[in-house]
Formats: sequence, structure tokens, C-alpha cells
Amino acid sequence: MSEMITLNKKQKHWSMERKKARWGWIFVTPTLLFFMLFSLYPITNAFYMSLTKKDLLSLKPPEFIGLKNYTYLFQSADFWNSMKATALFSLGTFSLLLVFSLLLAALIISRKRLQTLLQMIFYSPALLSSIVAALIWLLIFDPRGLANQGLNFICHTPGIDHKWLAATNMLRLSTTIVYFWKYIGYFTIIFVAGIGSIPRSLHESAEIDGASRWQDFWHITFPLIKPTTLLVSVMAMIQCLKTFSTQYLFTGAGSPTKPINVITLNIYKTALRDHRIGRASAMSMILFLIMLVLTWIQFKASKSENVTYM
Amino acid sequence: MNTSKASWGWELLIWIFLFIFATIVLIPLVFMFTSSIMPAIEIMKLPYPWITSTFQWQNYWFGLRGADGSFLFLRNILNSFIVASSVTLTTILLSSLAGYGLAKFYFKGRNIVFIALMATMMIPFEVIMIPLYMVTMKMRIQDTYLGLILPFLTTAFGVFMMRQFLLTFPEEILDAARIDGGGEIYIFSRIVLPNCGPVVTTLGILTFRSQWDSLLWPLMVIQSEEMKTIPQYITKYMAETHTDEGIMMAIAVIASIPMFILFLTMSKYFISSNLYSSVKG
Repeated sequence: MSEMITLNKKQKHWSMERKKARWGWIFVTPTLLFFMLFSLYPITNAFYMSLTKKDLLSLKPPEFIGLKNYTYLFQSADFWNSMKATALFSLGTFSLLLVFSLLLAALIISRKRLQTLLQMIFYSPALLSSIVAALIWLLIFDPRGLANQGLNFICHTPGIDHKWLAATNMLRLSTTIVYFWKYIGYFTIIFVAGIGSIPRSLHESAEIDGASRWQDFWHITFPLIKPTTLLVSVMAMIQCLKTFSTQYLFTGAGSPTKPINVITLNIYKTALRDHRIGRASAMSMILFLIMLVLTWIQFKASKSENVTYM
Repeated sequence: MNTSKASWGWELLIWIFLFIFATIVLIPLVFMFTSSIMPAIEIMKLPYPWITSTFQWQNYWFGLRGADGSFLFLRNILNSFIVASSVTLTTILLSSLAGYGLAKFYFKGRNIVFIALMATMMIPFEVIMIPLYMVTMKMRIQDTYLGLILPFLTTAFGVFMMRQFLLTFPEEILDAARIDGGGEIYIFSRIVLPNCGPVVTTLGILTFRSQWDSLLWPLMVIQSEEMKTIPQYITKYMAETHTDEGIMMAIAVIASIPMFILFLTMSKYFISSNLYSSVKG
């Protein structure tokens, strides 16, 4: 009798586990289906498309042409111009963001008051959508706008137009400024959290040992926030590689396209204006590869740099 | 004595630097607000007047009404709301379902499913937008809300966030509910979900913001004026020939109001969404 009960119990337990497993699948399935349709299929399709010649509007099936899209791109001045524009924008914006967000975070943390207010102020531009940010700066960079007024005031050069939206390098700088302005608070907050998580005792013992504030930052804070630094670098870098709105709005408002024809803008135009789906896909695969390499570097580096506090 | 004097100087220098930097960051925002109530002639005055003498509040009315009196902007604001809220709701629902399934149920292949989902996090939207566009063409859902919403129903990051949170959800509560005869759907919707407040809010803000900001996808799938979203409306407005700078800034303010309100009421979650997304990498 008692044997039967334990058997029964076991059976019941076993069937409950099976029931639970079934429910696990039920909960996961909608998401799984979604990702198959809207991530897995598109990425394989993008790769296949990059090997074909296909017009957006024609009903003809894509024609397989092997690596011709890639060889075309690597010989195309327009593509290399885009790579250059993207690289200049990304590296410039990224290094400015990294240096200043770290600096601001370190300074904010060292304040005894107004910490929150300062963070809020620096974060406030992040509340605007990219297109609104670009729109505000478009008026500021106007020949009669605040940018010229401010710069001329500082340099004592009244009446000079610095061609923020027209000259090649100024235009590049302008897009960088818009992006920097929008994201500086975003990354500062990440650094503030990173620096804040370092135990106070470490700073205190350094102080007892007679370390100056600068030594404390350079020998304690900086090495310990390396994981955060790494994370912010890769994130900022990938974010910059995907930039689109600012460049789209600026060129739409009449700025020359060439200096700021970043890769995403080029993909968009190649696909929707020139209808060259294959070529645009090849470009997006190259972008993907660059991002994967960056992510891989982050992964490798973060594994060796994890800090634990004993 | 000497050192405290030197550090006093440093303190002052740091405050001055922070003050100048904060001012520079705030200038464009102040410019947006002040110029939104100015007539266009005043905005382009040299030097910029900062405070208007005429207070042209009509800019906001004209901004909403549009040049042709069609109130298209209002319609486009509504579109942005519909799309951003729908995507937020589906993301919360699907992510918490999948996150719950992955955190609290043991089934064969669970780890593979999890790793596969996490791998899709590395696929940026910009890389798959062309095939996605062709899918919407095939499904004939261009120019519809469905076309705007469908590719963003959920995110791998959302699933990850929910799973991490639910891993710590006490197993005893779930078992107790099962013994009481609660069905799995009931347990999920009445016990699990109501206890996910903070993480769901964080995920919601993250999702809503990214949709509110989205420009590239609407540019691809939407052609008709009535279906456009706010970022699209702004780019279109810019490209028109006779644009009034004051009205333009009024439009910019209107487009930003929802985010300001969200931020003022839930700033805590903004910061946590900020920090969460930094884990995404």
C-alpha cells in the first residue's frame, strides 16, 4: 500500500515536471517564432541578397552574381567616401564622448553638493529625439545663428561666417557636435555609476597613505573602472557607426552630402533611391562585420578585465 | 596650510569648468524654448535676443495646424503614440513571457534557445532593414500601423532583462500557487507580472523612447502623409520651402513634451533604463 503511494507520488512528480517543461515551451514559443521571422530570416536573406543583383521595384527574381557587389564596392569611390565619413565621424565623436564623459563623471563624483542636478543637466539633451536635436542645431549652425555669434565672440572676429553647414570639415564637426551634445550625459551617468561602485575604503586607504587626489584617480579609480570604460567605448563606437538622423536632416536641409554620407545614409539611398537592393545589402553586411569585430574585441577584453572587490 | 589653499583653488576651477560645461549643454535647449515663441525675424537677429519682445504664442497653434490648416501634425503625433505604445506593450508582454519561461521552467533545449536569442542581440536593425522592408512589401503592410509595429514586437534585450530579473523570483510562491490549483497563465498574469513593476517600467521606457526616436524605418515603409510619424513630419517640414523658424522650434518643443513629462514623473526609471542599456553593449 505504502509502496503504491510513493510510486504514485513519483509519477505525479514526473508528470508535473513534464507539464512544466511543456509550459516553458509555450511561454518561449511566440518570441522564438518572432525572432525566426524577423531576425534569423532577414539576416540570412541579407547575406543572400548581397550576392545577387536585384532591383527594388522589378518583379524579376534576384540574379545570383557571386561576390560582384563586394568587388564593385571595394572599387567604388563613393563607398570608400562613405567609409571615410563614417570612420571620421565615429572616431571623432567616440573619443570626445569617452574623454569628456569620464572627466565629467570624475568631477561630478568629487562634488559634495549638486551631484544630481549636474547629472540631470548633462542628461537633459538625451531626452530629445535625434531629429529634434539635429533640428535645433541646424538653426544654431545657420550663418546668422548662435554658433557663429559664439565663436566670433570668443575669437574676436566679428562678422565671419564659419560655414558650419557648408565647408567639408566644418560640416563633419557640426554632425559630431550634435551627437556629442545628445549623448554626453548618457555616458556620463554610466561612468558615475561605475565610479560610484568602487568601495570607499579603497579611496580612504589611499588617502591615509598620502595619495593626492590626482594619484587617487590615476592609480585607483581609473584602473578599477576599466570594464566600464571598455563597455562605454564599444557602445559609443557602435552607436556612432549607426548614425543616420542628423546626417539625413542636414543633407535634406541643403548641406553637401559627400562629407557626411555615412554608411547608413548610403545604404538607405542605394536601396530606396537607386533601388539597388543587392549592393545595399552588401554594404550592410560589411557594416555588420565591422560591428561584430568590435563586439568580439569587447567580449575578449572584458573577460580579462573583470574586476572583483574582495 | 599650503595644500588646503591649493585644493581650494582646484575646487573653484572645477566648479567653473562644470558651470561652463553645463551652460554650453543647456544653451541649445534654452534656444529651443525661447525661439519657439519668437517671430522668425527676431530669431535671425544679430545678436540673438534670448528674450522676445513680442511673445508669439501663436507659433504653437500654427505648428499644430500646419501651413495648409490640415492639422496633419496632430495626426502624426497620434501615429507616433499608437506605434510607440503598441510596441512597448508587445515588448513587455512577449519579453516577460519568454523571460519567465527561460528563468523558471526546465525544458530540453532551454540553453540553446537562450543562447540563440542572445545571439540575435548582435544583429543591428540597420543590417536587416532591407530584407525586413521586402517582407513588409510581400505582406502588403506598407503604409500601415502593422508595418511600423511588426518588426519590433519584442527585443532580445528585453527577454534578457526579464529573465535576469525573474531568476531571483522566489520559487516557493510559484509552487504554493500551483498547489492551490492556479493555472500557469493565472500564475503568470496575477502573480509574476504584478511583481515585475520596476523592471517592466524600465523596459517600457527604454522601448517607448527608441520608438519615439525612430526615423529610418518609418521613412522606408510609410509614404502617405497621414501615416507618417513625428520624426518624419519634422524632416518633411524642414524640406519645405517657406519654413518659419519660430514655428519650427514650436514643433520641436511639442515633439519633446511627452519625453519631458515622462522624465519628470519617472526620472528614476530613466536612469535605470540608461544603466540597463549599458549592459547590452
